[in-house]
This record gives sequence, structure tokens and C-alpha cells, in this order.
Amino acid sequence: MHSILAVDDSASMRQMVSFTLKNAGFNVVEAVDGQDAWEKASSRDFSLVLTDQNMPRMDGISLTKRLRENPKFKSTPILILTTESSDQMKQAGRAAGATGWLVKPFDPTKLVEVIGKVIR
Amino acid sequence: MLSTDIHDPPPERLPLLAAAEVQDDLLVASNDLDRLQRLLSDASESLIGHFYAASDQLKQVLQTLAEHPDVDTPQLHRTMEHVAGAITAMQFQDLASQLIQHTAQRLRGCADRLAREAMGDDDDGDAVVEAPPLRPNPVTQDEMDAGSIELF
Repeated sequence: MHSILAVDDSASMRQMVSFTLKNAGFNVVEAVDGQDAWEKASSRDFSLVLTDQNMPRMDGISLTKRLRENPKFKSTPILILTTESSDQMKQAGRAAGATGWLVKPFDPTKLVEVIGKVIR
Repeated sequence: MLSTDIHDPPPERLPLLAAAEVQDDLLVASNDLDRLQRLLSDASESLIGHFYAASDQLKQVLQTLAEHPDVDTPQLHRTMEHVAGAITAMQFQDLASQLIQHTAQRLRGCADRLAREAMGDDDDGDAVVEAPPLRPNPVTQDEMDAGSIELF
């Protein structure tokens, strides 16, 4: 079973992402911000990281950069799920190594579809 | 040159009473937004709790009925699809929360700046002024349609 690291500082968003992904058959580990995600990612493997952008301590783009510096996560899909929709932010995400940019709110069916496309 | 400086008009200042009243209004609006934030958070927690409970019950019914292939369950499956579909709308709390937080910070920044401009710094040093947000509001959505997806 694929394990997905779901990162968001909003408890309600984490619950909804977990609910959607668990119903689709994924194992989900939650992290409350980028720093928490980085610590969890250091101790185990994930098939995909789904992260919010605006979070305390470490944002999604900084997390993406740090994960990409780790050979273990060099080719792991990283999707940024955020309220931010500006081209400037998307380009920053792309430059950091993100696999895709999803603007909130997410549609559960489409989220599962896009994860199915990029997950290994 | 010095004589010209002497004749420069003094910087215009908002009358103190008017500044104090506007500052009060801004702080009341900011506090109301904080209260709205708590109301939304509380309502969302309750809504999500009931949502998961209903969803779990539906799953159990579907599992039970799966043992009886003679029972037709399309209506229950459609109900489950409706439940899952509510997830998009239920993300309102996250968007609203970010919008409120940003706006409240901007209001507090305005109130602090107004006080400083009208009344000057405190006797014991610079007035504490909450910095307004440096970036535009991150939430630009004005409806709860699902957002875009872009793969790089």
C-alpha cells in the first residue's frame, strides 16, 4: 500500500485529505507543518508528499526544496495543495522541484485521479 | 534655505479625538473578526465530526449489505458519493480562516499606524505597531468551486 505524507497546518484540511486518501486505499501520515513533515520524512519513506504552502515554521516550497536535496526524495512526487493561485508562486513551486500545483478547494475525485497519475 | 524650512507648513495631523474614534472602530472590527474566526472553527469542527460519523455509518451499512448480493444498493452508493462530494464545500473553513486572519492583521496594522501618526510615540520609546501583511491576501477565491490542477 502506498504511503502519503499529508502536510497542512489546518486540522480540518488534514482530516479531509486523510478521509479522501484513506477511502481511495492509501495509507496516510499527517504532519502539521513543513518542519514536522521534514522530521517525519527523515525517518521513513513515502510514495508521495501532498503539502500546503502557507504554514508556520516551514512553508511548502521550503519543504519541497529540502526534500529534493535528500536523495531519498529526489524522484518522489510532491504536490502543493494551496489557496495560492498566482503564477509567481506556481513558478516558485516548480523551481523548488514540485511535481504539481493544486489550488484549494480540492475535488476528492480529481485529487485521487491526479495522485494516481503521478505516484510510482 | 533655513528660512524656507521655517515657513514650511507643519505636517497635517488627524485631530486626536477623530483618530481615537477611528482606531476604536478598527479594533472593534478586528476583534469581531477574531470572534467570527472562533465561531467558524467551532462550527466546522462540529460539522466535520457529524460528517465522519454519518460516513462511517454508511460504510458499515454498505459492508453489511455486501454480504447479501441479492440486495440492490445503488441508492446507498449514490448517497455515499454525495457525502464524498461535500468535501469540496467543507473546505470553506480553511479558506475563510486565512482570509479573516489576513484582514484582521491589516486592520490592526491600520489601527496601530493611525494611533502612532496621530499621537506620536510613547513616552518610553517607539509605539508598538503591528506590521501590515507584506503580501496580498493569499485567498483570491470567491466561490467554493474546485480549484485548478497543474502538473509540471
